[in-house]
Amino acid sequence: MKLYIAKRLCEGGATIWIVTLVVFALLRITGNPIDFLAPPDMPWTDRAYLREAYGLDKPLWQQYVLFNKSIITGDFGKSLRGTQGAALDVLLERVPATLQLTVAALLFSIVAGIGAGVVSAARPDSIYDRIGKVIAIAGQSMPVFWVGLLLILVFTVHLGWLPSAGGVDRLGLQGLIMPSISLGWLLVASHMRMVRSSVLDVLDSDYIKMARVKGLPWHLVLWKHALKNAAIPVLTLFAVNFAHLVSGAVITETIFAWPGIGRLLVESILARDYAVVQTVVFFAAMVIVVVNILVDLMYAWLDPRIRVAG
Amino acid sequence: MAGTRSQSGKLALAVPLAVRGQPTLVMQRLRETWRGVPIFSLLMLTGSILCALFAPLLAPYDPIKTSPAKALVAPSLSQHLLGTDHLGRDMLSRLIYGARISVTVGFLAVFVAGALGVLIAVVSGVYKGWVDRLLMRVTDAFLALPYLMIAVTVISILKPSMMNVILVIGLLRWMDYARVLRGEVLRLIEMDFVRLAIVAGCTRRRIIMRHIFPNMVNTLLVLTSLGVGAGVIAEAGLSFLGLGVPRPLPSWGTMLAESQKYLYTAWWLPLIPGLAISLLVMSSNLMGDWLRDRLDPTRRQL
Repeated sequence: MKLYIAKRLCEGGATIWIVTLVVFALLRITGNPIDFLAPPDMPWTDRAYLREAYGLDKPLWQQYVLFNKSIITGDFGKSLRGTQGAALDVLLERVPATLQLTVAALLFSIVAGIGAGVVSAARPDSIYDRIGKVIAIAGQSMPVFWVGLLLILVFTVHLGWLPSAGGVDRLGLQGLIMPSISLGWLLVASHMRMVRSSVLDVLDSDYIKMARVKGLPWHLVLWKHALKNAAIPVLTLFAVNFAHLVSGAVITETIFAWPGIGRLLVESILARDYAVVQTVVFFAAMVIVVVNILVDLMYAWLDPRIRVAG
Repeated sequence: MAGTRSQSGKLALAVPLAVRGQPTLVMQRLRETWRGVPIFSLLMLTGSILCALFAPLLAPYDPIKTSPAKALVAPSLSQHLLGTDHLGRDMLSRLIYGARISVTVGFLAVFVAGALGVLIAVVSGVYKGWVDRLLMRVTDAFLALPYLMIAVTVISILKPSMMNVILVIGLLRWMDYARVLRGEVLRLIEMDFVRLAIVAGCTRRRIIMRHIFPNMVNTLLVLTSLGVGAGVIAEAGLSFLGLGVPRPLPSWGTMLAESQKYLYTAWWLPLIPGLAISLLVMSSNLMGDWLRDRLDPTRRQL
């Protein structure tokens, strides 16, 4: 196990390094941040000043060294917007809101996805299974922002049940319902499909037959014995899904005026606040990598075969 | 002697059969090829492509010209089948023109992603060793990127345009192709016909082009079909955030973004473009599922 952890951490470190390289490359080489920062009518001298202020006049490798230094020290420069101070502080202020949203969305998708998956697998080709299939297909086809708009249309505009804009601080838990459903929607389908097929596999195995033979009630066999083993593959999906979740937060937060980092990113882009943009992107990438490593370790802990094979 | 006789016997039997039954055989083959094809998906996909190609002929009104007097007219059979938006532009015409952007970006982004994915898969699978390990690490790193955030950022730096949207989506969505196809290459390269080709002295280039690539096409086709939907959603998302193909060109995502302000007054504004996006994505997904079942029955559970 220790060896596996060490190995995985090394791999994780390598991935983090590549991520920093990719983020750096995307932010620097594909475009000219000065044009992004400066309004079109800005005089040439001011542009030169900006270039110098951001270290963009130096050769690329020096910029990369600077970039790494700022990662290590956590100093990503100052936010351009008035008195808000360091870009990192601006970011950290927004993190809790996104955390609330993604955790709620994840919980929703896990509960709904696993529930629907087990129910479909328990009676393949039944009416439940068919309904589940339709929901899965619809779930994978409907973009996050449309789900969000539809929810607002139904629950805010027509029924007047739920508030549509704000955040937990302003609206309380009620405000969390629609954003988390719209963000979690996409994952429901993928969780459901995964759980369904793995429960179907597990239900065929000998130990389930054994449990049935010894007279265990069907619901216990299904929800305890089968689900326990069938839930593991959902974790493998998690790595990719978490990235989707963080990405999706950009749009969900924009629709629901949610004060998280996704909205911060869009605001900063509109305000041409390059330091914050860079910080948000880098932070989000880091969180995804770290979560992925943790999930891998947990996976290995749950399923001993991986430790040996990995 | 017995062998040749039976061979010629088979031949003698086969020839008249083929000649006699040729038209029905063709029909049978055709029916066999298209068995179980999701009709709705096929219609939706061809419909979208036709809309994209012949938008000026199909659209009843000018999609860009505003007429404030007719703003927010509800859908009706008399004049505006799908109503008008806040500037009085006909929604149906905008929807038809919007198909241009969605279809073009969807397909071209998938083309970029697929090409890059194939390249990485082949290099990874053929050269193996440290090249493979490095490329797979890079793939993992890309998978860990919050791609929409990066896309938004990069496009805002590069300035929004159709080309940039296609490139950015393509360059951030190639990982599935690389990972799945690499597995395919690794499997193929161990197979006897590739070994025989190596023994026969084929060049590496020839082996890749003539022996490995043709055998990857099925999988690539499935992934591509599934990828078009993802491309369409990505484009709509970027447009929704105001970073897609610039206005006033109608994109389905832009239409949705504009509808946000009129949720209380005009229900058709958010409903129609969203439905169009979802149906197109669903069609491409179902088509992909069908292709997968059709081309590789062993992977139906995937």
